[in-house]
Amino acid sequence: MPQKINSVLFADMLRGGAASLYKDKSVINDLNVFPIPDGDTGDNMYMTLKAGASEIAGKTGTLAEMASAASSGMLLGARGNSGVILSRIFAGLAKGLEGLNEAGAAAFASAMSSAVKEAYGAIPVPVEGTIITVLREGASAADAGGSLEHYFETLLEAMQTSLDNTPEKLAVLKEAGVVDSGGAGLLCIFRGMDQALSGKVQSEEIAEDVHAAPAIDLSKFTEDSTLEYGYCTEFLLRLTRAKTDIEHFDQKELIDWLETHGESVVSFRDGTIVKVHVHTFNPGEILNHCQNYGEFLTLKIENMALQHHQESNKGNASFKKPKQKYGIATVAAGEGLIEAFKQIGADVVIPGGQTMNPSTQDFIDAFGHINADTILVFPNNSNIRMAAQQAADLYKDADVRVLPSSSIGEGYYAIASADRDCDNADEVVAGATAIMEAVTTGMISRAIRDAEATDAAVGESVTVVKGDFVGYSGKQILCDSASRNQAAALLAEKMGASGRDVMLVFTGEDVPAQEAAELQQTLTARYPNLEIMFNNGLQPIYDYIFVLC
Amino acid sequence: MLTFFSDTDCDITPKECAQYGIKLISMPYTVNDKVIYPYVDFEEFDSHAFYDMLRGGTIPTTSAMSEEFYTKTFEPEFAAGNDILYVHFSSGTSNTFTIMDMAVAKLKEKYPERKFYSVDTLGISALSYNIVLEAADMFKAGKSAEEIVEWAKAEVPHFPMYFFADDLKFFRRSGRVSGLAATMGGLIGIRPIIHLSDEGKMISIGKETGRAKAIARLVQYVQDLGDDVKAHRVVIGHSDCPDIAAEAERQLKAIYGDDLKVVTTVVNPTIGSHCGPNGLGICFHAIHR
Repeated sequence: MPQKINSVLFADMLRGGAASLYKDKSVINDLNVFPIPDGDTGDNMYMTLKAGASEIAGKTGTLAEMASAASSGMLLGARGNSGVILSRIFAGLAKGLEGLNEAGAAAFASAMSSAVKEAYGAIPVPVEGTIITVLREGASAADAGGSLEHYFETLLEAMQTSLDNTPEKLAVLKEAGVVDSGGAGLLCIFRGMDQALSGKVQSEEIAEDVHAAPAIDLSKFTEDSTLEYGYCTEFLLRLTRAKTDIEHFDQKELIDWLETHGESVVSFRDGTIVKVHVHTFNPGEILNHCQNYGEFLTLKIENMALQHHQESNKGNASFKKPKQKYGIATVAAGEGLIEAFKQIGADVVIPGGQTMNPSTQDFIDAFGHINADTILVFPNNSNIRMAAQQAADLYKDADVRVLPSSSIGEGYYAIASADRDCDNADEVVAGATAIMEAVTTGMISRAIRDAEATDAAVGESVTVVKGDFVGYSGKQILCDSASRNQAAALLAEKMGASGRDVMLVFTGEDVPAQEAAELQQTLTARYPNLEIMFNNGLQPIYDYIFVLC
Repeated sequence: MLTFFSDTDCDITPKECAQYGIKLISMPYTVNDKVIYPYVDFEEFDSHAFYDMLRGGTIPTTSAMSEEFYTKTFEPEFAAGNDILYVHFSSGTSNTFTIMDMAVAKLKEKYPERKFYSVDTLGISALSYNIVLEAADMFKAGKSAEEIVEWAKAEVPHFPMYFFADDLKFFRRSGRVSGLAATMGGLIGIRPIIHLSDEGKMISIGKETGRAKAIARLVQYVQDLGDDVKAHRVVIGHSDCPDIAAEAERQLKAIYGDDLKVVTTVVNPTIGSHCGPNGLGICFHAIHR
């Protein structure tokens, strides 16, 4: 085994980590405390890491530069909370490797401490028994006093011990009889890195995964088209001593300039590398200006009419719309549900949800379609919030506020009642947040495995049978039945429908119209004082979404 | 002779006008640039088709009438030696009456001996309808214009109307209701409760979550403010939601008895253009508005 990690080896290790995760990601997905298809931790971590590995594919540079470039890629590619934390771990690692051309055990160990610090700093309230625990305990127990091989051996051993111990630290894990999925993903990545390091795996290509971006369709811009969206322009610029005084280079000034010459500006500096993402009608102008400070390392310019998310965001506002005071971005899956969100005032609905978490980059792209002073973001899922927040922190074209909507119902009511006439954004956010408290969301979905769930409130336990319809609200499983409508009726009862005034129902794509009509009849007869409104949500995964107010 | 006028914004129909001997002024609305005069351009108001059109996303507009229109409407009466009593919808919701006043002032110069009496119901739809019917009863019983105007002066403030609307885009667009909070909307089942002030203006005074609570709140207003309720009509106006109107009637009769004089009206299309479908209002006799 080599005694030092250099840039080539680091790239191999990232690929090795991604390949290892790719192999095991479905196992990690299944480490789900919830017996329904949600939180696909394995997919999220894999796609995040892959974004980092792709960023440095075929590139050369120092170890520090490679680590930094990979971290930039992961920052934007981050999906789901586990992906965001992973991106921050590698950001910390890159920070720790700053200025280095190669790293032995001691230097790598020190970079790992920096990763721990960065990861803990990224989470408002760090919870032990998760990915960060596995990282911290692994890093602190690993022995950096010997060879790299010995370091990784002790690191992996400590990570494994820490992972095995996660159920002791987090009750939900113990109850579900699983270890933490994010921690397992991290261990899997470091295993792959170790294998690449020891040459056990020759930097094999990362297999294409199911979520790969579709091929670019050149027919979307023809000889008769006019440039409507501009160019998505992205590059890495190396600041050079010949052209600029690197010490005094003002990143903020560059961002200000970019903002007056383009839209959707995302730019950050890492050492002497500046990353720029901007939508512009005149990329030449941007390139000429930036070349005053250095030279390009990579360059990508794409006509936005060809970008695939234009398709999925059809009907969303193009960025040439007149400026509004407030713009609203939200996340939902299902044609009907997306349409419903647009009707109540969402400017952009990012396709996604529980099983398809949008990346930081997806959010940034969505913000680019909104022309507003303040953008309010409703993630509608707690596992999407961190990626949304990361995008909000990076986006410079608007004041972006991420609201704490953790369910479809919370997001729906909050958006419908957001006071767009109010001048004070803080008040708008407070008002929209307050209404979320009045709303409860429940869901019917298929159980992916057998489980025993305890209802903490009443002390009753629910036996979940694989393939049955499960009703739940928040993280609480409330009922199980082999019949969909029976489960739905039970769920309504358990959610306290009789004491509520309004019930919105979004029916999923798998529910036959006749069956939904029958449920409507049943519920209307049972709750005469409840105003029940059925909407054809056509969402995947959830056969019914109930929103009670 | 006295000629009694009313208008279609007061929900009164040509059939009832014929029974009472009332002349009806048609207040138009515009759909896709086509101006439509109720009961002139159609015989029967197909309320279901109209409100379904609104449900489909079409929002008609309304506009004030011209001075010439009022001159043409009223001059033949003055020329024939008749005085005029016009019981109309609220001057607080339209500036058409400012224009009418100019027309009338000029006519009075031309016919100095003729008299023009007006009763501002300070309401719309069910509220105006209730007052028009009371005035029409007096007119039929041979009361003079002065007596009717005196009665109205004392009684109009005793006819409140409380109502809720379902889809607020209609009111938001017309801008005729003050106090509408952003936290309301039919799509999420939260409805504003609106009433007509002493000045005949529409003011949102609260909200209710769910239709059941909204109906209950309207009925509660009848109980809380009602005065000699059974001696007068209780008018329930709805915009194409007869089931909801029937439920309100059921609740009112459960309280006041089956002999309560309930009259149900469908909100006319001109006013309906502002309040949208699935709205419900109750007008009754009360201690105050």
